[in-house]
Amino acid sequence: MSGRAGAVDAPVFPVPSHVALLHYGEAELRPAVLQFMREAVDRPDEALFCFGEPGVGERLLRDVEAQVGRDLSADRRAGRIVVGQSDPDVDQQLENFVVPLEACRGRGFALVRFVGIVAWNVPRFPPPEDFLWFESKMNEVIAELPVVGLCPYDLGRIPARAIAYGALETHPLVLSHGLLRQNPQFIPPDRYLRERLLRLPWLEDESVM
Amino acid sequence: MADRELVQDALHLQRGAIAIVDPDGNVTWADDAWAALESQTDLPRVPIGKNLLEAYRRHHEPIAQAVGNAIAAVFEGKATYFEIEHRASRGSERSYLTSAAALRGDGAGLVLIHRVVSGGTRTNSPLPADTRTPSGDVFKRLTPREREVLEVMAAGLDNRAIAAKLRIQYTTVRGHVRAVIEKLGASSRLEAVARAYRNGWVTKE
Repeated sequence: MSGRAGAVDAPVFPVPSHVALLHYGEAELRPAVLQFMREAVDRPDEALFCFGEPGVGERLLRDVEAQVGRDLSADRRAGRIVVGQSDPDVDQQLENFVVPLEACRGRGFALVRFVGIVAWNVPRFPPPEDFLWFESKMNEVIAELPVVGLCPYDLGRIPARAIAYGALETHPLVLSHGLLRQNPQFIPPDRYLRERLLRLPWLEDESVM
Repeated sequence: MADRELVQDALHLQRGAIAIVDPDGNVTWADDAWAALESQTDLPRVPIGKNLLEAYRRHHEPIAQAVGNAIAAVFEGKATYFEIEHRASRGSERSYLTSAAALRGDGAGLVLIHRVVSGGTRTNSPLPADTRTPSGDVFKRLTPREREVLEVMAAGLDNRAIAAKLRIQYTTVRGHVRAVIEKLGASSRLEAVARAYRNGWVTKE
């Protein structure tokens, strides 16, 4: 696993890596995410992939454009900046994630920075248990790719179960207040199905009869 | 709506208060709401999983419509928080929390906690037809290929991996996965897998 330096005070992410960003509200989210995204914008050999509920990726991109002070539509046309969106069908969401990553690899970018804004139990997102499967599956997808994935979990909006089962059990690394740490709660994807997904309380209690 | 302030205060104080919003926007508050629910005999059951809004709106009882309205309000940004406790399909055993979403942060909404306690002697509404079928009959609905797909779904494979393993087209796998989910009466991929394990329809490694 190689590393890629960030800005002077930015965390250095291993490549590949899948990181849960724990933050409280927009005020904590914006600086961390915008710095992460801006580094991709500033480096021609990197790509940026913004993902979330419909409209969220576009909003992220507008924020970056405001920060860098220039229109990024040419980078989008060139496939260096990609916007993807969630889907209530988890299989479609996985495709929405994998296809752009493969396209970036095909274009030969040294690194793809991925930002996926997390939601929970909302209509245009997979159901919670499927979303958790998706989060765990991401580790397998990026294992052979030059990807750093950052998944912001808003502690003020996301329910505790999403933090416990999602942020803490599907991400090998956690970033909080600028500090990047190995996550001891992480469950590798080959064990996550048995050790967590089949034990989710709402799936254990639900029954056919 | 004078009770709105009370609801917001409760949210602020994190007291875990109970409030119900009816279709006209009236709020029944705290203990009264609890008592009303306890005596209710026509509460709907809804499947666990995605799209709670549609699930509730498929029912016509006023309480279900009220829950649907409240969920819609949250999604539309008009409400700040809701928390719903569903009844398990195995409703005579226990109830549990299935959904707690979403502080929108605009301070304009209502709290809605629809708490349903199972057990006791209350008469329950019937389950949807597909989930009333005994488990063995449900599994028999699957074709041999769908059972094969279910087996590899249960191993945690995604559709691309399933296509590669079974040497069939990705789009064919998608069709099989959707059929499996639907035929098992599940509302998500993982719910179908969980049911398969629970009922012994797949091999445990």
